[in-house]
Amino acid sequence: MSVSREEVLKIAQLAELEVDEEALPALAEQMSRILDYVAQISSVAASEAVKPFIPGPDAVPFRADEVKPIPLAFGPDTFAPAFKEGFFLVPKLGQFEEAEGDG
Amino acid sequence: MSDTSDALANARAAADRIIKAKRLNACLTPPKELRSSLLRQAQTVHPSGVLYGMPVAIKDNICTLEFTTTCGSKILEGYRSPYEATAISKLKAAGALIAGKTNCDEFAMGSSTEHSAYGRAVHPTDKARVPGGSSGGSAALVAAGVVPAALGSETGGSVRQPASFCGVVGIKPTYGRVSRSGLVAFGSSLDQIGVLGRSVHDAARVLSVISGRDPKDATCEDRDSLRLPTVPESLQGFVIGIPKEYFPADLDAGVRRASDRALRLLKELGAAVREVSLPHTAYAVPTYYIIAPAEASSNLARYDGARYGPRFDGSLDVRAMYRRTRGEGFGAEVRRRILVGTYVLSSGYYDAYYRKAQQMRALIAQDFRNVFDRGVDLLFTPTTPTPAFKAGEKTADPVAMYLSDAFTVTANLAGLPAVSLPLGRIKGLSIGGQFIGQAFLEDEMLEAAYALERVVAAGDEV
Repeated sequence: MSVSREEVLKIAQLAELEVDEEALPALAEQMSRILDYVAQISSVAASEAVKPFIPGPDAVPFRADEVKPIPLAFGPDTFAPAFKEGFFLVPKLGQFEEAEGDG
Repeated sequence: MSDTSDALANARAAADRIIKAKRLNACLTPPKELRSSLLRQAQTVHPSGVLYGMPVAIKDNICTLEFTTTCGSKILEGYRSPYEATAISKLKAAGALIAGKTNCDEFAMGSSTEHSAYGRAVHPTDKARVPGGSSGGSAALVAAGVVPAALGSETGGSVRQPASFCGVVGIKPTYGRVSRSGLVAFGSSLDQIGVLGRSVHDAARVLSVISGRDPKDATCEDRDSLRLPTVPESLQGFVIGIPKEYFPADLDAGVRRASDRALRLLKELGAAVREVSLPHTAYAVPTYYIIAPAEASSNLARYDGARYGPRFDGSLDVRAMYRRTRGEGFGAEVRRRILVGTYVLSSGYYDAYYRKAQQMRALIAQDFRNVFDRGVDLLFTPTTPTPAFKAGEKTADPVAMYLSDAFTVTANLAGLPAVSLPLGRIKGLSIGGQFIGQAFLEDEMLEAAYALERVVAAGDEV
């Protein structure tokens, strides 16, 4: 299969990833090559009855539902790009919603 | 008051060795910071621990309080985790010294440690070649004699493949044997912390310390820590399966010679060696390269410039901030895998790719169960199809790079333990072989590795 430049842009938008215009042709070619390669599994017959295999415990153990302080060595103000009075600071969310509406 | 003089001597010596090994670009921690941290740790470590004074280097995708955790990525440049991995807490409680953070492919995505934002790591005996990856920095430091052991992580072979390339031992435990708490997530159904060591014993005793239950990780099994086996006199009673799919006609001649010699030695040790078949092996790499990027695209969604690391700024709105931060912060391979992962999970492609890959994974795991159900205790195969390749040889073709994982990804997909050990050299380059064991039977697998290691003369040309 061949992934087009437009498809790469659409997927990049879904992944919230900025992609350089200049890099698009090479990226489309590499993605096509990877997707062609992995698509070979479609040639294997697998019954619908085959259940997905996930390693690990058969049943996930539940913890007691109680609120406990998270023992952090230091607070988010030391590692967040912008943090003030207990909040992570980001550009205005209203503009995010407008962008969503545009899509 | 405890006597810390041995630990102090070890700390000084380790710091000196790491600084001298700078040419490998294997350690990301600045020398001054590393030395002062090691000396500080040595002054407080208690001498009763089973790893007392042992310097252990840590792959940079495992959270430590002592040093930054960047995952080899610009998007976490300078990031200091506010908590440490359970494996690190266990190492410290056992008296080990945390000997800096090692270079790796960005977010553990790669097979050569060329995909690091901090420059490529160098093979310890041939500077033109790669040390393997993604735990290439850990493998190079152990191989160069800088540390006796190091932690790495495996999603598709990232401990065993560099161990094989660098001529050291690499253990990938059963999924659920070691807590993943504090291991930065890449492919959560595949990721496990593993160990690289100078010898099977060095690697196994570190594994024993970091293994065992952890309430912080729901995928960690409720089991005691691994008990170390004794070195067996022979392998009488062991049935070792040789999967024919791992010995294709075009297998590198040196890899074949080293593997054949190891098989002769296993027979001489008393093991019954039997050819077996794992018929879905050829589909393991494509299956892996659907499942791992799909999980990565979800796990890496958290890096958006809002909470961790640097923000690539100047944005008018939050969405532009996300995109710019992720676009500039992630390297080419990570961006590629996020896009492939998003693609295979997207509407219209999910069934053809992701759902099908889940079925293939089940068939691959069933292949192993079928063989083990027929009385085979362990499998033995080459670890990699070739010795260490040259830097730049595979970077332009992602699929060629992925194929270097052909013999390792199966154990990850099936959640099984495996250990790679050096078998010999071809023109100075190490060749590794691996035992793949049954789930939670690492002790049996390590017994076989101990026995083979004792007789294999891994430094010899084959």
